[in-house]
Amino acid sequence: MASLQRLPAPQRAISSIQLIRPTRLIHTINHHRPSPSSASQSPSTTLTTNLSFKTPSIPIRTYHSQLHPRLPPHEYTNSQTAILTASLPHIPTHGVTAAALTAGARDAGFLDVSVQLLPRGEFDLVLFWLASRRGLLRAKVEGGEVFGANAEELSVQEKIKILVLERLRMNSEIKDVWQDALAQMSLLGNIPLSLLELHALSNDILTLAGDTAVDATWYARRMGVGAIYASAEVVMTRDPTPDLLETEAFVERRFEDKEVLKGKVEGIGSWVGFWGNTVLGVGRSWGLKI
Amino acid sequence: MSARSAWRALHYSAKRRAIQPTTPYRCFSCTRQASEQAKPDHERMTHFGFTNVPESEKESRVGAVFSSVASSYDNMNDLMSLGIHRLWKDHFVRSLNPGTPVANRPPHAKDQGWNILDIAGGTGDIAFRMLDHASNINHDLQTRVTISDINADMLAEGRKRSTATPYYNTPRLSFVEANAEHMPHIPSDSVDLYTVVFGIRNFTDKQAALNEAFRVLKPGGVFACMEFSKVENGLFDAVYKRWNFSAIPLIGQIVAGDRDSYQYLVESIERFPSQEEFRGMIQKAGFLIPGKGYENLTGGIAAIHKGIKPVTTQV
Repeated sequence: MASLQRLPAPQRAISSIQLIRPTRLIHTINHHRPSPSSASQSPSTTLTTNLSFKTPSIPIRTYHSQLHPRLPPHEYTNSQTAILTASLPHIPTHGVTAAALTAGARDAGFLDVSVQLLPRGEFDLVLFWLASRRGLLRAKVEGGEVFGANAEELSVQEKIKILVLERLRMNSEIKDVWQDALAQMSLLGNIPLSLLELHALSNDILTLAGDTAVDATWYARRMGVGAIYASAEVVMTRDPTPDLLETEAFVERRFEDKEVLKGKVEGIGSWVGFWGNTVLGVGRSWGLKI
Repeated sequence: MSARSAWRALHYSAKRRAIQPTTPYRCFSCTRQASEQAKPDHERMTHFGFTNVPESEKESRVGAVFSSVASSYDNMNDLMSLGIHRLWKDHFVRSLNPGTPVANRPPHAKDQGWNILDIAGGTGDIAFRMLDHASNINHDLQTRVTISDINADMLAEGRKRSTATPYYNTPRLSFVEANAEHMPHIPSDSVDLYTVVFGIRNFTDKQAALNEAFRVLKPGGVFACMEFSKVENGLFDAVYKRWNFSAIPLIGQIVAGDRDSYQYLVESIERFPSQEEFRGMIQKAGFLIPGKGYENLTGGIAAIHKGIKPVTTQV
């Protein structure tokens, strides 16, 4: 009983949340109802709350909401972005190496030594490539380039496949040096960040494809798309065809596998459910108190 | 008996005992002279280990410490850090990767190689490693290092050691005796890489030294500093403090015959600002901070701080 009493009542819990983070609430209201009257008042309110609470511009959240502004694809500062952006054109010639970074720094008006601005070195270049391509994919979809005119008719499954292939085609110009990047990503210290980036990509692909599942399949879907993309990337590095035809066929096969696997899992589920129900029923008919 | 006297000699601690000044002879006419000679009260104080000394005095006191340890500097470092300081220094130089590989050099660049300024690098530890890395790893034979130190004895030690290296008497290595807080002989925007390794905690005015570093660096140039810092794990910190305050002065007394200097070293380590505070000072001087801004070595016993001078005209 003592432990139960310590739990706050729902009403109190909500009010305490409001006390802690008032900016988020105001911000959500403004975002939700941009009526002219609230718009005229909102700048002063947001300004004062921002001044008094000093919350960062993008507070760290542990959940996702469509009402919140989207997080930027990467968290590099302006100078870092300048060096990294200038380094990207050097990747096909130099590979994902420190040499590409140095050349990029020189192009951006920095010195050779300025690559110290990137504490992770080459891995920063890999991450920046991944993050910037992810942002580019989003921009393409929102610009309506990917799905074309018949976006309404496509199913979510078809959209996911189109997005995975579109993302793979973005790598086509650097596919010869991409094995270096895969090697970098597989280093023990780099694995967490690489997986985080893979999750961000599969999350973006599913969101852009219009997937709205919020049940347990949320995890399964992201893992599935992530696995397909990551394995297709490996195949892509050895694909000699110009338009990545082999990779495309590989992705097709993997999606078919996914369907088969899904059918198997569902079959096992219904089998277990059937036998469970039967055993329960038999037990009850024998008079067991189940 | 001899054992007891030896124990006393070892056990003699460097506690600062209150000095009883002998009462000077004072006549009526001397009073005015004495009051004129008295130190002005408003002089700014700074810390020298755990004691406070006037700012004007710290420089000479630190000078005395390093003059007395110059010859046994390396042996002492090995004993005190159990040889780990070599690993730290190697890691520091490797992470900076000085020198541009020949293949990556732009064809018509007017000045080739890096211009490195090694502050407080009297014995040349870092400078020789930098030049070795540039020559052997990057095959860059143009990168040059200027060793600057305030202490002539440490520089003499470095000069002596440089005779054993291939850089002796070449334009790639030069020695300057200067105060890092004020270096008028070094033009602004002229240095690629400014390093200060285990030196900045002895500076009287650290912020002035950082500002001077900002001045001499080219836009895009890097300030890199390795210094003792704060251990983050509480248990390890306790062990480390015990080692610092008990063992190191003792080792200093046995090996170098100079307990007070090593007591000062330990106290100055303790007084140096934490990683976050020092990062704030680097930012205050105008540097950009890459990522977290510091890298802890061996649990935070030492930390590498880096700052990059921003390029104003960004493409």
